[in-house]
Amino acid sequence: MATPRGRGTEIMSDARDVILGRVERALRTARIPAAITHEDADRDGSGDPEQVALPGVALPRTSLQERFVLEARALGVEIYVEPTRAAVCDRLRTLVAGLRVLSWNPTLLPYGCGAIVDGALLGSSPTAEQARAEIGVTACHGAIAETGSLALIAGPGCSPTVSLLPPVHVAIVRPEDLFESMGGFLDARAEAMTQSANCTFVTGPSRTGDIELSLTIGVHGPGRVAIVFGPSELRMKNSRSTNSSS
Amino acid sequence: MIVQLFPTCLVNEFHPAAGMSVARVLERLGCTVVLPEGLTCCGQPAFNAGFHDEARQVARHILGVLARTDGPIVIPSGSCSDMLVHQYIELFRDDASASAAARAVAVRCREFSQFVAERGGIHAAITRPARVAYHPSCHLMRGLGVRRQPLEIISAIAGATSVPFDEQEECCGFGGLFSIKNPEISASMMDRKLTAIDACGADRLVSCDLGCLLHLEGGLRRRGSAIKVQHLAELVDEALE
Amino acid sequence: MSGGFAERARDALGNRQLHIALDRTTAQLGLRRATGLASLERSDAVRDRARAAKMQVLRTLPDSLRQFEARLVENGARVHWADTTADANRIIVDIAMTAGVRRVAKSKSMVSEETHLNGAFERAGIAVVETDLGEYIVQLADDRPSHIIAPIIHMTREQVGRVMEQRLHVPYSDDTQTLARYARERLRDEFLRADMGLTGANFGVVENGTICLVTNEGNGRMVTTLPRVHVALMGIEKLVPTMADLDRLLKLLARSATGQKLTAYTTLVRGPRRSRDECGPEEMHVVLLDNGRSRILAGETAEILGCIRCGACLNACPVYRSVGGHAYGDVYPGPVGAIVTPGIRGLAPFAELPSASSLCGACREVCPVRLDIPRMLLALRREAVERTPQPAALRLGLKVFARVASRPRVYRVAAAFVRRMLRGRARGGWIRRAPGMASGWTRFRDLKAPAAETFESAWRRRAAAARKS
Repeated sequence: MATPRGRGTEIMSDARDVILGRVERALRTARIPAAITHEDADRDGSGDPEQVALPGVALPRTSLQERFVLEARALGVEIYVEPTRAAVCDRLRTLVAGLRVLSWNPTLLPYGCGAIVDGALLGSSPTAEQARAEIGVTACHGAIAETGSLALIAGPGCSPTVSLLPPVHVAIVRPEDLFESMGGFLDARAEAMTQSANCTFVTGPSRTGDIELSLTIGVHGPGRVAIVFGPSELRMKNSRSTNSSS
Repeated sequence: MIVQLFPTCLVNEFHPAAGMSVARVLERLGCTVVLPEGLTCCGQPAFNAGFHDEARQVARHILGVLARTDGPIVIPSGSCSDMLVHQYIELFRDDASASAAARAVAVRCREFSQFVAERGGIHAAITRPARVAYHPSCHLMRGLGVRRQPLEIISAIAGATSVPFDEQEECCGFGGLFSIKNPEISASMMDRKLTAIDACGADRLVSCDLGCLLHLEGGLRRRGSAIKVQHLAELVDEALE
Repeated sequence: MSGGFAERARDALGNRQLHIALDRTTAQLGLRRATGLASLERSDAVRDRARAAKMQVLRTLPDSLRQFEARLVENGARVHWADTTADANRIIVDIAMTAGVRRVAKSKSMVSEETHLNGAFERAGIAVVETDLGEYIVQLADDRPSHIIAPIIHMTREQVGRVMEQRLHVPYSDDTQTLARYARERLRDEFLRADMGLTGANFGVVENGTICLVTNEGNGRMVTTLPRVHVALMGIEKLVPTMADLDRLLKLLARSATGQKLTAYTTLVRGPRRSRDECGPEEMHVVLLDNGRSRILAGETAEILGCIRCGACLNACPVYRSVGGHAYGDVYPGPVGAIVTPGIRGLAPFAELPSASSLCGACREVCPVRLDIPRMLLALRREAVERTPQPAALRLGLKVFARVASRPRVYRVAAAFVRRMLRGRARGGWIRRAPGMASGWTRFRDLKAPAAETFESAWRRRAAAARKS
């Protein structure tokens, strides 16, 4: 609750009381229609009309990845799918070659990619320098298949500036990062989001249609977004894996 | 079966032929058509203009007339049907007995094409082939949810083809008093609609609302168009002869 | 038509270039919306649930506001309450002065247009720049936005090119890529130098104090990441109960507005920077504005507070498509504007707006949260009749109509009189110039002459003849 502290805040808490009082009184006469549901809203009688897939049955990772790639490509995102760690690192090396790099903390990049961006500018570098970077390198906290989006949770070593200031953004993504929908991500990562001041879903490059609805890519954010998918890390970590589901 | 016919003020005063066609089609469907004594206007002009006391005065009278009758009430107008089906209940929200009367009447009301479809439709053949542009009136389509029935009725007429046109579902610009209170905007909407109809190659314009038809036909005449304008009932009636 | 709206509408109707721009862009956006919704599984259920969430917030608004405030404070944000637009501006300027702010970068905020915030900043000697491309061009051109999500829908690329040439001293171009690049270069500097970022809020989540910003350009991210102060100005109605509800509304907002599944950036802000963050605002303020919303809540149009500002109703409205946004005379145009504007500014100066509709219902059909706009327009018309002066002829005419239409015998006589009078002016069954109020009709179309005999009379004759035979 806002505690009154001096004249300015007394006026403020007066306004608060006035507004809340008015809102309370308004509800006595407010015409707020009752809920409507539509016939096809619960067509299959599953009880939850919004459920698309049955609960408890997760779609296999490969089709999630395929879905993500489809959605992201439709947005103009460049997708690279690499079979090995080494290939991921090679791809990144090619993408950043000759460019001034801004990166997440290298230890936070998967597949040992951190080595490729050793010596790059970091989120802790002065903003003016970060603003001169030509490519930003991140991992992600989630990859949303339904929309081809990357979820980026801000934190130490994961500054939002990295995916925002340079004209190009490259994200290294693992299959383990995939979620079917934003809802799934929000549920699974609720705790991490509580600890952070900012979570952004990046869905393709920056764009505008403000002038005659004609599409221009790359306004204030990166005009070029590239995603490098690597192999599943789970399989790598588990040296005695019997059957990889992917 | 006995059905009550509510002709509507526009049909009654401006185009009784449409009312006759409705009656003949209903009779062909095996109905006995009764015209209740004392019907005037559903009151929509007053209601739409915000004069709700006046609208209630008229509505009470209409409800009184209809409450003395039984059976389905067939109305050859989407907007008047919507008035009786949805808006009377809204008008009498604060009056329990009038509300109940309104509800009792509302459930009996059927717009013409809605009724014909419920009775299994009608098969007929038209002597001169007709390319028909069907204009779905707004209250009929969005207020009552009647979308397919008029098109099905047209398809069931051998020799009649439904011709689609651009932005077919957009409002024609009549809107009752809107056409007089905002004449330039109404005319602009009418122009859009008529340009699309002209371009689609139809030789007839058909709708289920006389208001829309008077407005569009008036505009077609101003353009010197030869497109024949009919209420859906007239098209069906012509095919039945 | 008479009055401000009527005149502005007439001007708009005479503007051929506006007509072309509006026609094309609203049709495009309408098509994109249809495609976007079609790609949403169980869209009906999502819309129903989203509507339920917004109505639930309204029903519990006092507690929702209190809870939202408490969560914001826990997140480290400061919460301010503004009754009027002047209060909001004063609060925000005070925040700026206290923090030593000299330059403000604004991401799109319609509420800030409502309060004329830019003027308040300027009067306080604080530089403010719009960073949303459309709003930036509006600011350069000293114009006003005409659509909720496409502010310069009324301008051609040539006009934009001329504005930029004049105001930015750059070579004239009508290539949209070039024009966007001019803006990008100029505004990038502003982002880096700004002391304060000012945003609106597409949604505020009650359960955890999250502010959600939906943008395509990246300016929303810039102004909530780089400047040391972030102020979010929002109406008290922009709340949703939970993150699950936010998810539902996010599924609907971009699809309804532009056909995108999501905009390029969906940003969830949860307070100022954390202690170990490398960037982000040191101070975050949320200003909750009433400005008539509590008054709207008290009446028949409370439901309009569920609007999520997608603009779909504008693109579907044949009236908006004919006259564009400026005709509506205030910040919010189109069907939603016809209800919100009388609510926040008062009905008397804007009584024409609820009548500027044929009640076709296209708006209700496309609204993601199924707001019953026609019902609310009718309620406002009733209120206008009760509380504002009406043309004497109309008031008298409808009183007479009510009397006559409830007395069948009188009705028959009166109708016969009118029929005879009109038939007297007809040639070949049609009237080219109608008298009195009906003259508005015949300016643009012929008026069919009434029938010599009514349906009822013909019917009774036929029935009588049948009985005789």
